[in-house]
Amino acid sequence: MSKYLTFTDVVFKDRDLLVTALEDIGCSQIRQGENLEMGSYYSEQSKQKVAIVIPRNSIGNRYGDIGFERAESGDYIPIIDDFDRSRALNGRFITQLRTAYNERVVKRVAARLCGTIHRTVEGGVVKIKVRY
Amino acid sequence: MPEVNFTIDIQTGEMEMKVEGIKGSQCADVAKIVTELIGIPEREENTSEYYERSNVRPQIHNKKKV
Repeated sequence: MSKYLTFTDVVFKDRDLLVTALEDIGCSQIRQGENLEMGSYYSEQSKQKVAIVIPRNSIGNRYGDIGFERAESGDYIPIIDDFDRSRALNGRFITQLRTAYNERVVKRVAARLCGTIHRTVEGGVVKIKVRY
Repeated sequence: MPEVNFTIDIQTGEMEMKVEGIKGSQCADVAKIVTELIGIPEREENTSEYYERSNVRPQIHNKKKV
């Protein structure tokens, strides 16, 4: 059954970093605002009001939009159709987004510390050293 | 020279951070910048350097005495 799932255990605290990370992983069409409605393409998909929308068919999400709801805490929480979990970016949407977001976090930290970045990738792990 | 080492697991997107070369609670200041952006860490450990006195601490003590 196609339905929107809310990933409350995955949160993004900074909107600018989130949008940049989405662009980093190939989301070229990003709608931003307040109380944006996610498309309801199947009867089981409940109406969702979100702050950020990645439209259907952007990155392999055939069944619905991908949204980010702004929680009372200010955190952004992803909402994705059950079927799209295994389709968007070949099922790696959440993990690729977390990786891209965390890389952006490191760049922001380095800028705040006026530091330099040295980045390497070893065996599936990105290693970033910030010196300041 | 102080440095912050980040490791990001590409398979899970999880990140770890280790602050090195900073004595005392100043490393907590660096951690605060990160937690503002990613939230409360799942696990947090203070290294031995955290319990060492930093070079700037004596100045703070002097101010309190005045």
